[in-house]
Amino acid sequence: MKIVLKRIVFLGVGLIFTLGLMAVPSSAEEKVIKIGTLFPLTGSCALAGQRCQASVDTAVDVINNVYADIDVPLAAQKGLLDGYRIEVVHADHQGKPDVGKSEAERLFNQEKVYAIIGSYNSAVTKPASFVAERKKKIFMCGCSSSAALTKRGYQYFFRMAPTDETESLEFVEVMKWLNEKHEKGLVTVGLIYENSEFGKHAADEGKKAVKDNGFKVVVDIPFNPGATNLNSEVQTLKAKNPDVVFGACLGGDYTLWVKTMKQMNWLPKVALNYCTGYQDPVITKQLGDDANYFMGGTGYSPEFAGLMPAVAAVEKIYMQKTDPSVPFDSDSIQEAVAMLILAQAIEKAGTLDYEKVKETLYANTWESPLSLGGKVAFSPGGQNIMAKSLITQLQNGSYKRIYPLDLADTKPVVPMTSWNRP
Amino acid sequence: MTIFLQVILDGLMNGMLYALVAVGLSLIWGVMDVINFGHGEFLMIAMYVSYWLGFIFHIDPLFSWLASGAFVFFLAALTYQLIIKHTVGKPPLSSLLATFGLAMVLKNICLNRFSPNFRLLSDTVLGGKVLHMGDVIVSMPQLITALFSLAVMAMVYVIIHRTRLGWTIQATAMDKEAAELMGINTEKIYLLVFGMGGACVGIAGGLMPSYLAVHPEVGTLFGLIAFVIVAMGGFGSIPGALLAALLIGLVEALSGFYIAPVFKYVAVFGLYLVVVMIRPKGFFGW
Repeated sequence: MKIVLKRIVFLGVGLIFTLGLMAVPSSAEEKVIKIGTLFPLTGSCALAGQRCQASVDTAVDVINNVYADIDVPLAAQKGLLDGYRIEVVHADHQGKPDVGKSEAERLFNQEKVYAIIGSYNSAVTKPASFVAERKKKIFMCGCSSSAALTKRGYQYFFRMAPTDETESLEFVEVMKWLNEKHEKGLVTVGLIYENSEFGKHAADEGKKAVKDNGFKVVVDIPFNPGATNLNSEVQTLKAKNPDVVFGACLGGDYTLWVKTMKQMNWLPKVALNYCTGYQDPVITKQLGDDANYFMGGTGYSPEFAGLMPAVAAVEKIYMQKTDPSVPFDSDSIQEAVAMLILAQAIEKAGTLDYEKVKETLYANTWESPLSLGGKVAFSPGGQNIMAKSLITQLQNGSYKRIYPLDLADTKPVVPMTSWNRP
Repeated sequence: MTIFLQVILDGLMNGMLYALVAVGLSLIWGVMDVINFGHGEFLMIAMYVSYWLGFIFHIDPLFSWLASGAFVFFLAALTYQLIIKHTVGKPPLSSLLATFGLAMVLKNICLNRFSPNFRLLSDTVLGGKVLHMGDVIVSMPQLITALFSLAVMAMVYVIIHRTRLGWTIQATAMDKEAAELMGINTEKIYLLVFGMGGACVGIAGGLMPSYLAVHPEVGTLFGLIAFVIVAMGGFGSIPGALLAALLIGLVEALSGFYIAPVFKYVAVFGLYLVVVMIRPKGFFGW
């Protein structure tokens, strides 16, 4: 019996030793850069989070493989740094800041990721990027729009999208243009926004821009995301009857807001939305005619194909990674940009050294055919100073470009037509 | 004055909806002493049933509530047979934890099968329809839901208080052993009550896709509000549930409009705290 046991132990040790030897050369040969993604894959913003995740996957596909027909930096070569490929580790923050922070820690500590891309919700991006900054590791933020994120003086944080501050200024510019050129008489503004980091910052920037430009805020309505109804909110808007509403409502809250306005038979003259449900093509489709004539800042939509010709080929890959298959939207495309810019910086720096990659990110202006601005460059704090968005209006279910005028393709319908549309 | 009437009407109609969601929970809690943490998820499942019937077969929620009510009746009966039966008579925590687990399972099945996407039924019979009473606007989907709520609550009340079956349910709720000595099959009563509770929330969920988006998280807040209503109204009391639901709907609407919209759930849960501190058994609890 003892002899049998000895043989088993001997064989076991031998097997482990052999497997260990086999494993060493393979891991040494494999040159992998692990990148973590941190998006809301469950919870109220999950749909948007899953699209952001698919967008990063698309960019990684373009970087890791050779796509001669795609006119995007790194597409024509295989991998990075002469043989490295990128491997993505996905994490779900559920839209919760505490979960986002702990998942960022897990990604860095256990998964040993090189950098994190995320996190869609500004409220989550804030603590998650704090983890990265403390570890002196890079955090690439695609679409979180809170202006405060790039005002913290962080060194390792980079954001691609325009901020709520930029969008608020665009909104008031549009209002001024509508007043000056079209005599629409827009004076008063109402704000409705989810009571979160994103919503509150958007509202703060909105209020500041409105006051600085001589307009008047007459109603300010934060609401709890995921509410069972928005009757009080819309009733309050209706009672104050502002000319213009700035909205920051995500996902299902946006549909509920629109449906409740219809139910209460009220519309402002103009409804301008931050990066919200307005930009979501699926929600727009589901709302049907009710979605029409709302306006908002948009960084990308398929209607922009003429302005951004390189997107189409990348979008084909992206559409295969989404279920249901959808084109890029304004938020998701920024995450692909984040991945591509980080990869370009690593390639240009010629090393994975964090300090050198960080300095390279700041020191250069990057080609970015997937960005409306065409290029990406960062100011101290990490904001992309080349970030651009257009003001669009939904007309017959399409995002029509209305402002700035040099990029416009359609005249705006102002005031919004009543709900009893033919 | 018009605005005040509008706010009151909105509050009452929301309250009716909450009542319809809560009545099933109240029934189960009152008769079986079981806290069904899966109640909000039953609502969500019913909404999905109604949504898919509308999406695939173009059956309007105005009719598909029958199917969703029946579906959740069987789902609840199955839940009783597979899970709840084994927790009856055990410490209350066991049924609470079991139904909490059930809620997680149901939510994650829906997440897995249907994704977290928000789904809206467009072109429903009631969708976007309103009734004008002077300057006051009545939303038809909410009005119909409110009428269903009253009808379902009246039906449940009549069953419990005016029928032989109801008396056996009451007897089982009051003293299970004595009921068994009188020849009542309490197992079957429990099964039926759990099914009835499911059917009530199933009917509510079946009607809701007329005006609300469907997604795996949709039942969570409704479930929480249902608990508050049942605790405020008194365990097992149908009139209590109706009163508490109307009160909550009104408090939500009035505080949301006259104080601040962001304050409305603070007011609702604040009211709940006050009621249970003054009267721990709720308005009509025994």
